[in-house]
Amino acid sequence: MISLIFFLCIGALLFSSLFLLARRNPRSEGSSTALVEAQQALTALQTGLLPVALVRRVFAREDWEYVRSEAPRSVRELFLDERKSLAILWLTQVRAQIRSLARFHRGAARHYAKLNPRLELQLAISFAALTGACRALQLFVYVAGPYAAPQMVGAVAEAAGRICKTSEQSLAFLNAARLSALAIPATTARL
Amino acid sequence: MDVEQAACDLRNRTLSDIPRSLDRLIYLASMRDYNTGLYYHDGLAWRFTQEVACEALADCHREAFGQLVGCSLRDLVGQMEAYIRSTHTSPRDFVAAWKKLEPYRVAVPVETDPVSAQLLFSSFKIALAILEARLPSVPEQPAA
Repeated sequence: MISLIFFLCIGALLFSSLFLLARRNPRSEGSSTALVEAQQALTALQTGLLPVALVRRVFAREDWEYVRSEAPRSVRELFLDERKSLAILWLTQVRAQIRSLARFHRGAARHYAKLNPRLELQLAISFAALTGACRALQLFVYVAGPYAAPQMVGAVAEAAGRICKTSEQSLAFLNAARLSALAIPATTARL
Repeated sequence: MDVEQAACDLRNRTLSDIPRSLDRLIYLASMRDYNTGLYYHDGLAWRFTQEVACEALADCHREAFGQLVGCSLRDLVGQMEAYIRSTHTSPRDFVAAWKKLEPYRVAVPVETDPVSAQLLFSSFKIALAILEARLPSVPEQPAA
């Protein structure tokens, strides 16, 4: 009886594993779509979300000093609400794009034997730390306001920038790998 | 190359007469057809081609948007005050209309990232609240 239950449990485990594998997101299979999405995420981070000028503007203390000195209380409250929402939006967007890059790297790591395992492990740790930091900062901004942790904002932006650089190298390598893979049949055909 | 030349031409001949980035943004947004998203400028299209003129206007629009997003709140409020004076509208009417209609929402170039767009909308909202707070209070009408 015990052995029957044991085998039934193993069967259920195998079945649920198969079910999960079947449900797995096809985008993580290292397809062209995943590559395009990763490139879009990289572009969104590098040109839209991480430029120093934008981050400085979103968290600009001089704007708060100006409002505090020039405007009545109702405007001061409006300002803080608006900047808090904006800071949370920025963090949400950064986190979403970082997760998109992480998803791509997870998929790519399974398909490209030439990827550097050490680099990928470092990236995995960096992705996890950064998404965690984004979430923590979101909570912090929500509770204490947009100007509560300027150093943490800088640290998140810098860490995201570093991840972008590493991802850029990986994506360049993958693009080259794909182009050379496409070039092989063409060369063979010419021969 | 043609697009760069057309953008230079636009900057030198037209935009140099519009000193503030807020005014440039509104002017360039008004050159865009809301139905198609394409920009039109007869003079520029005559000198170059319609496609090149459209690209050049889009480039200058993005540039003006970037400059305005980079402005401090103090600067934006100053630009809005100057813009109100240039329209010869009463500040009270202007603030009321902009708060209600939010015309700045249609002045953003296409494919602008959501955080930059939201930053500008938010800054306009706060600037309008500051300008409203500065308006002289209306004297109460005596009861009839």
